[in-house]
Amino acid sequence: MIISSWSRNWRDFKKNRLALAGSLVVFLLLLIALLAPLLANNKPYIYISKEKTYFPLFFDYPDLKDKDLRQNKYPGFKLFPPIPYSYSEYDLDYIVVGPSQKHFLGTDEQGRDLAARMIYGTRVSILVGLIAVLIYVTLGIIIGAIAGYYGGVVDLIISRLIEIMICFPTFFLILTVLALLGPSLVNIMVVIGLTSWTGIARIVRGEFFRIRELDYVKASKLSGASDFWIILRHILPNSLSPVFVSATFGIASTILIESSLSFLGFGVQPPTPSWGDILSQSRDFMDFAWWLTLIPGAAIFITITSYNLVGEGLQEAFDPKK
Amino acid sequence: MKRYLFKRILLIIPTFLGITLITFLMIRLAPGDYTSLKAGLQGELRAGQIGQEILEQEKKLYGLDKPILVGYYEWVQKFIRLDFGKSRKDGRPVSTRLAEALPITLTLNLITLIIIYLISIPLGLFSAVKKNGFFDQGTSLLLFILYSLPSFWVALLLLLYLGGGEYLDLFPLNGLLSDGLEQANWWEKFLDFSWHLVLPVVTLTYGGFAFLARYTRANLLEVIGQQYITVARAKGLSENKILFVHAFRNSLIPLITLMATLLPALLGGSVIVESIFSIPGMGQLAFEAILSRDIPVIMAIASISALLTLIGILLSDLLYALVDPRIRLEGKK
Repeated sequence: MIISSWSRNWRDFKKNRLALAGSLVVFLLLLIALLAPLLANNKPYIYISKEKTYFPLFFDYPDLKDKDLRQNKYPGFKLFPPIPYSYSEYDLDYIVVGPSQKHFLGTDEQGRDLAARMIYGTRVSILVGLIAVLIYVTLGIIIGAIAGYYGGVVDLIISRLIEIMICFPTFFLILTVLALLGPSLVNIMVVIGLTSWTGIARIVRGEFFRIRELDYVKASKLSGASDFWIILRHILPNSLSPVFVSATFGIASTILIESSLSFLGFGVQPPTPSWGDILSQSRDFMDFAWWLTLIPGAAIFITITSYNLVGEGLQEAFDPKK
Repeated sequence: MKRYLFKRILLIIPTFLGITLITFLMIRLAPGDYTSLKAGLQGELRAGQIGQEILEQEKKLYGLDKPILVGYYEWVQKFIRLDFGKSRKDGRPVSTRLAEALPITLTLNLITLIIIYLISIPLGLFSAVKKNGFFDQGTSLLLFILYSLPSFWVALLLLLYLGGGEYLDLFPLNGLLSDGLEQANWWEKFLDFSWHLVLPVVTLTYGGFAFLARYTRANLLEVIGQQYITVARAKGLSENKILFVHAFRNSLIPLITLMATLLPALLGGSVIVESIFSIPGMGQLAFEAILSRDIPVIMAIASISALLTLIGILLSDLLYALVDPRIRLEGKK
């Protein structure tokens, strides 16, 4: 029963071309984030000199230490990643230079390769998006399930708590906490995770209210199943589809929050690159260095759009009314 | 209705206390905060007398020497008298700084909110009526794109291409009034002020109206699918009458409640927009306060914006009750 309904949802999802395109971009971004060190690195994958074969990107060799193998004084066969620069190395001869053969997305104010920084920035955005959403979806499911299953006083207290959290100026709260704790990757994920669970909790609570009155749940209760078993095995699986939809949209808005934080200087700290920070740094050179403004902004936009498209596709596919 | 109103107003109090208590606890319990506060003040102490005075005042305001709950109780007492203490930055009373900044942000957000509703409702309406038509598909795509555009990026691009940069010099770069206009008459001031507001308002508006127009469309489509619309059609009413008398009015109800959710989002967005366009409103004040860890200001802004949000929710609940008889008559059953 469950399997057939999932496969029907998948069939509906596949019909939505925009959602499929979005999934493709999401998948590509995941790949870029995972493979960042293999895509942008100043060490070659393989280096065959006269004496020996090296794999400098994967292993450390004492005899290659501090040697820049890109220079011509090291002869032999070298295979470099598509972007032969690391995200933090600077080249003072190439400060704020536009896209060229050498740096195909241009360089920033310290002569760092923009393409390498964008690739590593993908890691930050995707990581924060996924982990923060994972944290708040887990929290939201637990809190919403307790409120929806037990109802009564428990529900009253949790509902008031949710109402309080909703009235919080969330973005301001996140900024304040980060200012007090100091901005770091972990802090950003935890703070967003702890402040954004209310939407999921409300959805799960509503679903639990509906499902716990269904006959099959009552039957399970009569046959002596424990609360824990009923929640986990009978109600939760049937209340998850709106959670998936909301979580997908959530990743999009979390990535937006992360880049806004980085833009304001409360993001991941340098030298780790993030899209919002690159965009923020570009403000000083905005009038001529269009690539520094255009590229990170477009990356944020494309990422958010893709997750939103996937969310829309899921929403339509899961829609019980269709 | 009176009972409902009374109940709603009473419910604001515990929620407000909850919000301020959490903020208070956060500031008190945050690791490193108290020490950094002292360290920061010691620097000022050496600089002069003001630091000592503010340190004493801050200690009093937050009851740092007392247990947390006693400190909170005293803070609430001061809040009721609108006494937020003095800003650590310039030693001026926080309430004065708020009184300067709040009207600016409220004006900005009110204009934005009105424009959002003015654009999105007709747009959603037309898309829903001609569902899947050329206009509908075009606006859907456009709204989807607008909805996903990060506002700080849009603000930068607007500044770059329309304001003072290398390209078109149409709008002023920042602030609210041009220099040398202090002596001008109110009409010139008003024009100049509006001119300065165009780019910030555009930045604040586009995401909101994209969201709301999509929502209006979905909502109206849902109402059109209801049985009473089929009945109205079956008894031979004109399409216009069905649309405006039966469908549109009912689809308006959820739009009203949305105002409550838009308000905190807009206030949060003000932080970014105001700091990009250098507008001396709540957002910029908040951002400066956070940067300099000006705790009296942070605490005051958190509580004021929570209060504004609560009032927004109350207003939308009341409007909801006014248009939906099921809620208005709840107590009379």
